[in-house]
Amino acid sequence: MSTLEVEDLTAGYGDARVLHGIGLTVGEGEICAILGPNGAGKTTLLRALSGMIKARGRVRLGGTDLAGRSPDALARQGIAHVPEGRGTFMPLTVEENLRLGAFVRRGRDGVNADIERIHGYFPVLKDRMKQAAGSLSGGEQQMLAIGRALMSRPRLLLLDEPSLGLAPLVTRELFRIVQAINAEEQTTVVVVEQNAHLALGIAQQAHVLETGRIVLSGTAEQIRADEQVAQSYLGYRV
Amino acid sequence: MAGFLQQVVEGLGAGAIYASLALALVLIYQFTGIVNFAQGELAMFSTYIAWQCVAAGLPFWLALVLTLVVSFAGGMLIERVIIRPVEGAPELTLVIVTVGLFIFVNAAAGWIWTFLIKDFPNPFPGGVLEAGGIHVSISTLGVLGVVAVVMGLLYLLFRYTKIGLGMRAVATNPSSARLVGIRVGWMLALGWGLAATVGAVSGVLVAPVLFLEPNMMGGVLIYAFAAATLGGFDSPLGAVVGGLIVGVAETLAGAYIGVIGSDLKVGVPLVIIVVVLLLRPQGLFGRAVVERA
Repeated sequence: MSTLEVEDLTAGYGDARVLHGIGLTVGEGEICAILGPNGAGKTTLLRALSGMIKARGRVRLGGTDLAGRSPDALARQGIAHVPEGRGTFMPLTVEENLRLGAFVRRGRDGVNADIERIHGYFPVLKDRMKQAAGSLSGGEQQMLAIGRALMSRPRLLLLDEPSLGLAPLVTRELFRIVQAINAEEQTTVVVVEQNAHLALGIAQQAHVLETGRIVLSGTAEQIRADEQVAQSYLGYRV
Repeated sequence: MAGFLQQVVEGLGAGAIYASLALALVLIYQFTGIVNFAQGELAMFSTYIAWQCVAAGLPFWLALVLTLVVSFAGGMLIERVIIRPVEGAPELTLVIVTVGLFIFVNAAAGWIWTFLIKDFPNPFPGGVLEAGGIHVSISTLGVLGVVAVVMGLLYLLFRYTKIGLGMRAVATNPSSARLVGIRVGWMLALGWGLAATVGAVSGVLVAPVLFLEPNMMGGVLIYAFAAATLGGFDSPLGAVVGGLIVGVAETLAGAYIGVIGSDLKVGVPLVIIVVVLLLRPQGLFGRAVVERA
């Protein structure tokens, strides 16, 4: 069971509180989209979930309470966070980046098999295994970041703005792959995205965040049909 | 010509020692961004431990192994206890802390072992080999060999082991390293342990040449700084190449530039530091860091 349950989560930077009591539940194998304007606290929410910043409240993954743990401990618990800016190890090779994704795992055979599996999702990475990760294009780096996250065989995948800085076609392809990964591996996904259209296209449920609070929750269809969301984030009227 | 080559060989022998201490400096700088002014003193302290073991009757090589193990643990302990609390502090704070460590270790060594010079056994047999009119002492060859082995072992560690990969990840992107599940704090401690071990090797190599006393490493540290600056503070290979170049440059300058002679030789590393910082601040093998204004 890898259900993510978040209750009354507050977090911030120093004295500035950014999240004010977030509560949400993502079922096992579901994709949850977090929408909202700049500064709403979307990135902060993911950081709180992966332990990058201190948070208060309850976070449970598959029934285990994870609140207050360090990022490396959470990674070992199966949370893989693709951070804003992708967190690429630039001077290391593509292969080394992927192997680092499997750092928390033991045994070599499984790791090699998983590299094959990542090649299946992102064939472009296969030809670049010995290349420095910093020499990849933005889209390729995003694929590498997701591939790196998958190498840990995560129970929960956190994606922060995967579309940032990518061409529309590349972004669409990326979302298609995220959907395929979710379908094949039953990985629970929380995706933060400015491009509400795309995110709602693959998500089962969505939450709209504004100034650190959830102002609207529902299934992807409900959110898409909401007039206010349509005006603010989708660029058209229902 | 033979005379010139002879000077080059002597320079390489001295350079190998600078290289090993520079390697220790670079290891710590890579992982923690700290220029460890106390590196030489730690090496000196390790050398005293080796001396003490030998004085207690242990065979030299066993004493060496023991010293390396103690140095490794000591380096890790220093990171955990002294460096950890100031992790992420401004550079000036870090510099002050390592300078404080320098003074403390220096004084501690003097307090324990006094400031009288001690004879340190040379691990290599005496004797000189000759080829084409050039004389090389076995001990010089030994020093070069040891530094090559240390370099090789570090390369294998970083290139082919999981823990080495983890350490490189921490050096390039600590926050991302944390996200993939690496215990960053332990990797930093490991970096300090490795650096202290490599430094101990340089201390043990230099002691038979200079005699053992608490201020033995002061000059060597300056040469090591020049070597690391020349090679690039973020490049272990650069540290070694830089060390060899500094050693050769110093010896040649002493031999062929009349004004310098053996008295002003110590000025050579300072000239090298200034010239490198003016012309190529990132060093020969270092990466230039470009930041957007």
